[in-house]
Amino acid sequence: MDQHHTHNTGSRDLRMARSMCWHCQSEMSGEYFCERCVKVQPVSKETDYFTCFGLPRRLTIDLKKLEAKFYEMSRAFHPDFYQNKSETEQTISLGNAATLNTAYRTLRDPIQRAEYLLDLEAGSVKDIRTSPPSDLFEEILELQETVEAYRASDRTSETGRQLLTRLVAERQALDQRKQDMEHHLQQICTDWDALQDRGEATSQARTERDRLLKQMREILSNRTYVKNIVNDLAATIG
Amino acid sequence: MAYSDKVVDHFNNPRNMGSFKKDEDGVGTGMVGAPECGDVMKLQIKVQDDMIVDAKFKTFGCGSAIASSSLATEWLKGKTIEEAQKIKNTDIVQELNLPPVKIHCSVLAEDAIKAALADYQKKADKPEAAR
Repeated sequence: MDQHHTHNTGSRDLRMARSMCWHCQSEMSGEYFCERCVKVQPVSKETDYFTCFGLPRRLTIDLKKLEAKFYEMSRAFHPDFYQNKSETEQTISLGNAATLNTAYRTLRDPIQRAEYLLDLEAGSVKDIRTSPPSDLFEEILELQETVEAYRASDRTSETGRQLLTRLVAERQALDQRKQDMEHHLQQICTDWDALQDRGEATSQARTERDRLLKQMREILSNRTYVKNIVNDLAATIG
Repeated sequence: MAYSDKVVDHFNNPRNMGSFKKDEDGVGTGMVGAPECGDVMKLQIKVQDDMIVDAKFKTFGCGSAIASSSLATEWLKGKTIEEAQKIKNTDIVQELNLPPVKIHCSVLAEDAIKAALADYQKKADKPEAAR
């Protein structure tokens, strides 16, 4: 905890002079190491995870490349290599390694990656208001009742067996729905990337951007609702 | 993290669980969800002469979300529309002793109350549109 705290304060102070090496104060031209004194430089808290790995802000990512870059950077920042260095360098390398781990975990997973991009592009989840999917909510609440009835029932009875059959079918349907949502999300991600690649600054492009972000938000939210009830079902019927 | 006794009590003996028919006269329905955690809450009020005579809820979520909505229905009964508008999530937090990580459950309950009241108002303003 203490170490973490030190790092936070440290990088905040250092971030102010990001364009300058914290050690020799020369103008920084290297990415994470000063070209003049070869000291490790902190990854700025302002740096988003895409930039961190030198990737464009796109939702389709070459996972092999990402992994290779992650390993390369992990080696460069690994705290083991800083044991004989100054305390500042140790703190910086530790902080960078931690940031890198979080960045990698986030970008590696397509769902987390999309959530992260939404945060970057549109602020937190709450900033995009989508109308609550009432039909889905009704379905979830109704299903929840069936789950409870099954839990309370004698599982060897006819009623218990009927409830189980129903729940198994529901679970299959929901699994399928979750998959459909993920496919749809993938399509939107492709559309997003294409829009970014075109790089137009027209009002039409802006409308399209907002539409895609909103759709992304909607699917991600609905997927969370479905995922929750599927997990609950799985815990009950195995 | 341990739940407070009040949360456990509401969780084990939820008050007013169930639902009314949506199109019933004087019924307002609030259906809300928290995309961050996937909790879903349905809260309904039954209004007669500007007074909430009954309230029901159904919640799919954690103990705190269930307790928050259960408490909300208890509080709503016997209140006027105007009084009900004043229920704040912080009141729920205080009553149930919710820890910081569970404050969003009380926010969800407040949203559900607001949504139910708004739905009732909408139906009261133009009753034919609700059918």
